Amino acid sequence: MPGQTLLKVENLSVVIDDKKIIKDVSFELKKEEVLAIVGPNGAGKSILLKTLLGLFKTESGKIEWGKDVTYGYLPQRFHIDHYLPMTVEEFLKLKPNPKYSITKVMELVEIDKHWLHKNLATFSSGQLQKILLAWAIIDQPQVLLFDEPTENVDVISQESIYDLLHHLQDTLGISIILVSHDLSIVYHYANQVLCLNHAMVCYGEPHEALTNQNLSELYGDHAFFHHHHFDNHHHE
Amino acid sequence: MNDLFFITLISGIFVAAASGLTGSFLILRRMSLLSDALSHVALPGIALGIIFKFAPIWGGLAALFIGVFLIWLIENKTKLATESVTGVFFVTALAIGALIIPQQDLLEAFFGSVEKITFNQIIFQTAVAIAIIGLVLKYLKPLALFSIAPDLGTSVKISPAKMQLIILILIALTISIGISFVGVLLISALSIIPAATARNLAKSFNSFVYLSVILSVLSLSGGLSVSYVYGANAGIATVLISASLFGLSLFEKK
Repeated sequence: MPGQTLLKVENLSVVIDDKKIIKDVSFELKKEEVLAIVGPNGAGKSILLKTLLGLFKTESGKIEWGKDVTYGYLPQRFHIDHYLPMTVEEFLKLKPNPKYSITKVMELVEIDKHWLHKNLATFSSGQLQKILLAWAIIDQPQVLLFDEPTENVDVISQESIYDLLHHLQDTLGISIILVSHDLSIVYHYANQVLCLNHAMVCYGEPHEALTNQNLSELYGDHAFFHHHHFDNHHHE
Repeated sequence: MNDLFFITLISGIFVAAASGLTGSFLILRRMSLLSDALSHVALPGIALGIIFKFAPIWGGLAALFIGVFLIWLIENKTKLATESVTGVFFVTALAIGALIIPQQDLLEAFFGSVEKITFNQIIFQTAVAIAIIGLVLKYLKPLALFSIAPDLGTSVKISPAKMQLIILILIALTISIGISFVGVLLISALSIIPAATARNLAKSFNSFVYLSVILSVLSLSGGLSVSYVYGANAGIATVLISASLFGLSLFEKK
């Protein structure tokens, strides 16, 4: 049912190699919600996502997934060796416990059937992302954790992957946690936003949480150089 | 054809199949030179076998397992790359081996000596080869996923440390059964060269693995036959056949 809490994170801290990467972060994810995690490079966004997956140990705090909640993961980088001999079909079959058939999942992510027998190494990074999306949802997860790639994916592919995510959220009722550095994506697609710069800077609905004050705290004042700083200089 | 040659050949087919399978994962993991370097770690064990008159394969196997375990341990502790740790181990083992193996036995340890394989050894090698094949088939999917995208692997609860350990065990077992055929120095003829050739030819993962197995079997049975008919060293003949197949595959690549 909508509104059901799928994930509850309380006062989470993560320490890696004696450095505190995540400090005292709390949030919730409800069914059919899209939660965006934004912040500058190196703010701990990807680490937070991986901690939710159980890939990093928590120092303190709690991560509570709801009973029987299943989740899928799309990593930021998917480096494919150029000579890797593996077809899309073989790759999708590597996922344990699939719930959808390969044909069904191809339909869901709008992949052409003739891709199935082509080699993974022949696809562009945008296309690979679609294939990864198919991989991520083939076992019918309730929550999708999506780490936005910061490089190598062109704007058009990036938009189409978000449209696709949006479509999946509508048709399958999937909840999404997405890491992004692009605020327009957040305004477009997210119900909730969490600003992260090691500690939590803001959390709430995008239009309320992303105030100028919060943003400048998050990205530093230079992000608003053109709006404020430059103008002030001009009038001096 | 005499009986001993025939059963050696049958055993060789299993050993080569196991080596080809292991080799395909080493190629995917970009650990090609690892098995080559690691094979030297067997030398001190082989030396003990020669000196104390037990089958060198046991000593080799024990030395490999101790070596692999120490490498895995040091790698996890220091975060040095597997290859760096192996680099330290293999020259040390080579030096110790060369120091204590009698001169006339050294060449055999380096290049293999099919003539000296005993019946017991043949049974043992074949059994280990079958175990390797079983282990790879059991972990085929997680191993493949871990090899091509470790991140995706961990996200579906595949433990990288466990997979790395399985790969190291596979390498140790593969080397130990290959040594009597091709020797310590030529071990990659059975695993790396066939897998590299297969990668040149294959369009899919399945065909890559099958081809790697087939090419390894072809190379070793070819090498054994040449050795039987012309009295040449089987290890050297196997390498040359394996390398020629690799050369031919370069022309096939589109």
